Amino acid sequence: MTEPQHEDRPHLPGPSLYPIGFAAGVACILVGLIVNPTLIAPIGAAIAIVFGFLWARDATMDYRREPEPIEPERREAPLTAPPIPADRGEAAMPAPEPGERFPRSRFLEASTLGLGAVIGGLVTVPVVGFMVVPAFKGQGYPDVDLGPLDNFPEGKWLITTFYMHPEAGNVSRRTAYIRNNGQLNGEPSFTIISNRCAHLGCPVQPNGPVQPGDKKQVTPGEKGQKVTLVPTIPAGGFGCPCHGGQYDPEGNRTAGPPVRALDRYQYAVVNGHLVLGKPFSVAHVDGEGKNAKIHAYKLAGPGQHIDGWEQILYPIQPPH
Amino acid sequence: MAVAPTRSRKSPRRQKLEAAVNYPLDWLEERSGLIGAVRYFLFRKVPGDTNWFHTLGSATLTAFLVQALTGAILAMYYQPHPATAYQSINHITNDVTLGWLVRGMHKWGASVFIILMFFHMARVFLFGAYKYPRELNWIVGVMLLAVGMLEGFTGYLLPWDQTAYWATVVGINLNGTAPILGPFLADFLRGGAEIGNDTLSRFYSLHMLLIPGLIFALIGLHLYLVVRLGVSSPPWSREAAGGGDYPAAPPSTNGRSGLTQPTARSGWRRNGGES
Amino acid sequence: MASIEDRRAQFTQYKQDVKSRGKSFYPYAMFHDTVMSLVVVSVIIALACVWYFTSGTDPNTCGGKDSCLLGPRYSEPADPGTTNFVPRPDWYFYFLFYLLRIFKWPNTVILGTVGIPTILLIILIVLPFVDVRRERRLLRRPVALIAAVLVVISMGVLTYKGATAKEALASEVVQAVPTWAQRQGFADDKDAVAGATVFATSGCTACHTYLGTGSSNLGAPDLSAIGKSGQGPNFFSTYVADPSKYGNNVMPKFAALGQTKLHQLGVFLSESKGPK
Repeated sequence: MTEPQHEDRPHLPGPSLYPIGFAAGVACILVGLIVNPTLIAPIGAAIAIVFGFLWARDATMDYRREPEPIEPERREAPLTAPPIPADRGEAAMPAPEPGERFPRSRFLEASTLGLGAVIGGLVTVPVVGFMVVPAFKGQGYPDVDLGPLDNFPEGKWLITTFYMHPEAGNVSRRTAYIRNNGQLNGEPSFTIISNRCAHLGCPVQPNGPVQPGDKKQVTPGEKGQKVTLVPTIPAGGFGCPCHGGQYDPEGNRTAGPPVRALDRYQYAVVNGHLVLGKPFSVAHVDGEGKNAKIHAYKLAGPGQHIDGWEQILYPIQPPH
Repeated sequence: MAVAPTRSRKSPRRQKLEAAVNYPLDWLEERSGLIGAVRYFLFRKVPGDTNWFHTLGSATLTAFLVQALTGAILAMYYQPHPATAYQSINHITNDVTLGWLVRGMHKWGASVFIILMFFHMARVFLFGAYKYPRELNWIVGVMLLAVGMLEGFTGYLLPWDQTAYWATVVGINLNGTAPILGPFLADFLRGGAEIGNDTLSRFYSLHMLLIPGLIFALIGLHLYLVVRLGVSSPPWSREAAGGGDYPAAPPSTNGRSGLTQPTARSGWRRNGGES
Repeated sequence: MASIEDRRAQFTQYKQDVKSRGKSFYPYAMFHDTVMSLVVVSVIIALACVWYFTSGTDPNTCGGKDSCLLGPRYSEPADPGTTNFVPRPDWYFYFLFYLLRIFKWPNTVILGTVGIPTILLIILIVLPFVDVRRERRLLRRPVALIAAVLVVISMGVLTYKGATAKEALASEVVQAVPTWAQRQGFADDKDAVAGATVFATSGCTACHTYLGTGSSNLGAPDLSAIGKSGQGPNFFSTYVADPSKYGNNVMPKFAALGQTKLHQLGVFLSESKGPK
């Protein structure tokens, strides 16, 4: 016997490779769950179980060795026999001092806490992941077909209401203010302003007459899609009904608390249809209509600065 | 009652009856100690000069229990999906027997609960009852106020009408303006980049399960601390004056139930018979 | 500032006092608690009854057939694409709602949204660690007393302002047009009445006030008596079409309204000589 660890600390388990094998098995399960749940995950589970069993055996060896029948025999050895070395059996152990913490209790303490942490982790990690991660995945902004260009007469504003995700129903209803700016370099140009206030997200309203009598409904694109077009003359721009934010017709903030201009949508013309793309945030707009110079930024939530020194408050946006 | 002091002169019939009543109580007490705990709670001493102002806490608790009960029953009829939520609220209010009353109690109970929390807090503040050794209980109370407001916010969305929807939009975007983590907090609350189907069921779960669980736990802690530390006396009492010179208390003449008080270390103790 | 020993001694004294001279929680204190709880439950049920019996199944009958003392049973179904809804929070968030209206400069938005609520919460949490005196009599705690009074007053004012905050929305303002015509005395002038309608529906009241209607939040002048300046309709219509020509770079251009509407607006403004 040349195991060094038994010389002075008889009950502490020696270094072992089993925990590493166990950890490798767990890692294999996790990888397998993602890559190939039917094959790799069970293999990982098997590895984890085998090594976990061996580890548990190894760790509790000293404990389980106590009742082995050999030891009583040893203990019954003649009193004249030389004392049993300190690293063999229980008899040579000195009686523990009251309150003394000897290695095995320390080991049990550590493993109780450790196993508790493992149980806690096994339960809470997936649950918290399930709660948090899906909020930052998917969704996104699909392209929305708003129908033929003919419905958007040049120079007129239309309150355009549509479904962002027609299959999701009313909850995905959105409104944009759209104006056809005419031709720019041979391509049609549009101003498409989101109705989400840049202060705290209330629905902005046009400051000017709305003409619901001239309402038009078209059903282009996907099944369930319904686009409503209502002419309006937002001569005074747009106003927010919550906290009094005011915008000019290009969406620039003119008064009140909004931290930037109104968001806009990208657009494309496909087969003579106006197609709405992703929304983006706008710091401010110079100029008007088709000659406008838009200071565009990645989409940010309402109330979040995207330019000026305040932008350091919002350094990262969640991935979408 | 098991705890009633027995008088010596009783008819045998009455004694038999008492024994029959006492048996299950004694059985329970022997196996759980619960009767003693309830006895301790009910017959603990409170300062002689507590008054109507001290009822605001229990009134708040009553309002919360009304909320818990009516909310649990409303959940039997409510459908947390954007396509059906509004219809189910309509159905509860207009069609289901007494649905209007239960929903009305839940709706107005929420306001009463919030008002009472503020009143209770104002009372504690004005009475200086947050001072040593009740600092921790004050903090638990502040947490209850914050969590109670959160409960009001999550519940406000559930009717899925215009008021509910837009109040929630603003509420979530408020959180979104918090520095650095705000955008992530807003996405977490919405369950995505935009308010969708998941948002309503998420708020429903928070409103129905997670936050009420937290409130129950905090109320338990709050009450435990009240019982352990004792009800504070009003600020005009001798104890509260804090002048420093305490004349020796006159010996008790009206001690009634002979119960021990929790000392700094003892915590719960059953009726030991000493006074 | 009292040392921890002093405070411990005071608490020990309190324990002794309560033990020797206190009353039993049940039934003495609990009687009060029970009466109060009955009041609470009664108030809740009464509110529910008033709310239900003064409202109808349709939220739109409020103010007409039904008085809706405590509001409608529910508003219209949620519509994320709305362009005419005015969002309002539940009453206990009115103070926060009005706080957001107070901070009307973009740089200060964060103060109203997270700054002040967070500061309030922190103050509440650290309160028992800051105020460590033993004194509990209110009149000997002047700072606490003044703070309490100020908090109550400001919360009350903010809640009231939040509850009564109104937006000057076209659909609501336009109903005031006949009253305007009568009070200003231009009811017979068709152009002026048409101009008043243009005024009401073009968002002018988002910044201006007119005979008590509209929002003065943004600092634009009241227009109830603008016609007293003696300028004719043409002046007003060209001014409104492009205020920057007259050195006003704050007000947006309204040229998009078209000549007819601008003319009507000019007539309306020149006829607005203050109520008679």
